Amino acid sequence: MTEAVKAAEIFGSIGAVVTRWTVGSSAASAASFWRTELGDDPVEAELRMLALSGQFLGATVTAEAPSALRVLPDIPMLALPTVSEPLRPLLRRILAASKDAAPRKELVHFLAARGWTTHPADWMPDANDEDAPDVYAAWRDWSAFAVAGAVTRRRTGDQLTAENWEDFWPAARKAALIGLRRRDPSAARALLEAKLGNENAEARLRLVSLLSERLSGDDVAFLEGLVANDRAPKIKALATSMLARLGHGPAAGEDIAELAGFFAVKTKGLLRRSRVIDFQTPKTPAQWQRRKTLLDGTDLTSFAGALGLAPQDLIAAWDWNVDPAADAGLVGLIVETGTDAQLAQAANIVSEHDATGLIVALAPRLANAERARFAAAALRARGIGFEMAQMIAGVAGRLDDPLSTPAGVKLLAEIRRDDAKPSDHIAEFRALGLLASRTAAQQTLQRLTAAGLLLGDPRLDMLRLNAALDDQGETP
Amino acid sequence: MAIDLKAVEQLATDQSSLKAAAGLAKPAKWSGVGGSPDGALIWGECAGSGANPYRVMADLRDLGNKCTCPSRKFPCKHVLGLLWLNAEAIVPFAPADTPDWVSDWLGRRRGTSAAKPANTVTPAGEKDLRTARTLEPEATQDPKDVARREAQAAKRNEETERAILDALDALEQWIGDQLRLGLSGFIDDATARCRRIAARLVDGKAAVLAGRIDELPSRLLALAAGDRPRGAVVELGKLVLLARAFRATPRGAEIRRAVVAAETRETVLANSQAPRVSGHWEVLAERVETRRDGLVSQTTWLLNLAASGPRFAMLLDFFPASAGRRGSVFTPGERFHGELVFYPSQQPLRALLVRREAADDTLTPEWPAPDATLNDALTRPLLTEPWMIEIPLLLPQGRIARDDSGGAWWRAADGTTTLPVAGNADGLLAGTELTRTAAIWSGSRLTILAAQSSWGRIGGHD
Repeated sequence: MTEAVKAAEIFGSIGAVVTRWTVGSSAASAASFWRTELGDDPVEAELRMLALSGQFLGATVTAEAPSALRVLPDIPMLALPTVSEPLRPLLRRILAASKDAAPRKELVHFLAARGWTTHPADWMPDANDEDAPDVYAAWRDWSAFAVAGAVTRRRTGDQLTAENWEDFWPAARKAALIGLRRRDPSAARALLEAKLGNENAEARLRLVSLLSERLSGDDVAFLEGLVANDRAPKIKALATSMLARLGHGPAAGEDIAELAGFFAVKTKGLLRRSRVIDFQTPKTPAQWQRRKTLLDGTDLTSFAGALGLAPQDLIAAWDWNVDPAADAGLVGLIVETGTDAQLAQAANIVSEHDATGLIVALAPRLANAERARFAAAALRARGIGFEMAQMIAGVAGRLDDPLSTPAGVKLLAEIRRDDAKPSDHIAEFRALGLLASRTAAQQTLQRLTAAGLLLGDPRLDMLRLNAALDDQGETP
Repeated sequence: MAIDLKAVEQLATDQSSLKAAAGLAKPAKWSGVGGSPDGALIWGECAGSGANPYRVMADLRDLGNKCTCPSRKFPCKHVLGLLWLNAEAIVPFAPADTPDWVSDWLGRRRGTSAAKPANTVTPAGEKDLRTARTLEPEATQDPKDVARREAQAAKRNEETERAILDALDALEQWIGDQLRLGLSGFIDDATARCRRIAARLVDGKAAVLAGRIDELPSRLLALAAGDRPRGAVVELGKLVLLARAFRATPRGAEIRRAVVAAETRETVLANSQAPRVSGHWEVLAERVETRRDGLVSQTTWLLNLAASGPRFAMLLDFFPASAGRRGSVFTPGERFHGELVFYPSQQPLRALLVRREAADDTLTPEWPAPDATLNDALTRPLLTEPWMIEIPLLLPQGRIARDDSGGAWWRAADGTTTLPVAGNADGLLAGTELTRTAAIWSGSRLTILAAQSSWGRIGGHD
């Protein structure tokens, strides 16, 4: 028997051999091709047969690949460059130290603000990661593609139009729409008008929220149409809030008079008489709750109107830091329904009062430069810590000389204490790393190490990354 | 920041630690020695009894320290040795960037970072540096005693061999029983049945084989249900081959390594037949697995970046799980120039690190080309060691593909070979062309250790 014939015979019989052993039958008798090798002793023959079959199966039989295998497309290059190879280990360490999603999100947004993206082996967003910076849209769509089991690739990068709308995966479409809105707000709105009806409620909500970029009076008719016709309450609420920002609040209901009853407008000063809001403090927990509910359910223009004031006058007349719950309620109204000018006015007034928490609430709607300005001011004048300042500034703060602020002086003093521990102030150091400009990060590292911290101290990782990362981001 | 030898003496828990430290305070034992520019931190890698070196680090401000060895003494002899090197300036502690593993330790440290005087450490017992340094004179040996000891050792070896052969008889008997009882029953009850025969093998001094059988059920369960009978035949067949090979050459070092125990580090180092390979190595991956017998195995896979020579090296160490989590010794992707000594074998794979020089990032990122056709690489090792379970492979250009149920496959660019991949192989691994892939073939699936692509190096997914 030739080798080839023998191999074919073994192939043909080996399945039956395994089946026999599976049920506990003797198998040697089924293998005439190995009769010489197996010998006459039946016990010994089974063991020899096992050794030979095992070797044959192990060396020649592997799982057969299904005919229909799907290959994913290449992970696309992003518009921003990948962080350089020498910085990747540091970045990986910071990512690994961030157990929650929030700090990771901050880090990738920080990188994007500095003009960089992660290496896909270090971090990639999920398909549903709405919080990922827009620059990662192509990777989100790649993930969606991988999960969906799709076989054709859709487009990215081209100009988005009503005709090619379906050719885009959701994240790329969102990124393209944001770009269009920045360039040509009316064209973006017209596109939404044409295509919104075919999307589900969740997608509609995400798309409509993009209108907050360059929101203007031209959008009123479209938003009113959504309030009147959209089926989803969340979208109606979002459109209502946007209309209110444009000064088109809903007609005030009966509730507004009840809300106004919790406040009174008084005048003060003898020569330069000015108006001031007087708080009619609720007397029972039920009243407190009712006032909160009423504040949550109205808009700035209606509320101001019920007190006989224009919104900007209400903001100017507000007596801050007397009734914190009312302060929070008004700031909530401004954020949800105030115009950009009203928001800026409120932020300026609040920053002059000692009410940093309110600035934090207003910050997400402020421009990056404004956020940084308020964060720097609060650090110097209000004695807040770096963590709070970073919440105000976001990830594009680029503050200069943060260590000379009271928070910095305090931090320097604390690390010099005899009982200082290596785990102290982790969050403060991290926030400092996100807040500082690159130059400030380099200087801060020098001062901290001169004060006794080791350069290898993992608390300084964020500062080290900042100091080493070339700042290629857009600066205001 | 300087420390003096007195501090080392005070820090030592006993005289024997100090004595051992004196033995380690020699340049030849150390590699990668460095310190932070301010002199507060020092670190180094010390060759221990295992294949992987130990990573040793200390903070000179308060003499806080850490070593990756499994010693229960604190500080261990390696830390004392490092401090000794520093105190006496035996080797230069070149200022360098703090390695990640030192930073990681700093981040985990509890207690104070501020300088604490070293003399607050309570000395335990009488210790003396001078005595620690003195070399004990070798006792002169009576030729009669030597002969008697040799005879006793020979008798012991004979008894051990007899015990092993008896255990292997029991193993073959057991294998025959599994066939008679049916492999479907064996697959269902593999854990308990393997545990019993493994215990018998431990009694019979066949510890390595016992460990292998203890892990057999988990290998079997990793297979698809339909593939387990085939897997059981392959596993049990290899055991028969091992038993027969041991009977044929019970004194062969290679077979003893697979059945009884590996040679000690000293034996391998002293063996002139053990191949020594000096070259550039890349750390592919480190795998740390807790085994059923209570040991943790730490395997470091290295790739030889030279065009020829053994393509892979495997540094394998065991330590008890009770010794706690042990830090990694290498960072995947790091490259270094170093000398390895391979355990003598027809296909050298298991090795010990003899000497390691500083990390070397200047090398071209390209990996060498695979030196055999894929079919040959998959089966050739089985000709000399048919009982082998894991075959390291360097695969040519290929790509990850998926089947309808989401299972991952590695497919060669030329379309000739498609192999199933263990785990998910998702993310970047599945989204780019893999110019080279280093993987372990277990006879049924590929475990990817690392790959090269246009994005650079990609770590494997476990």
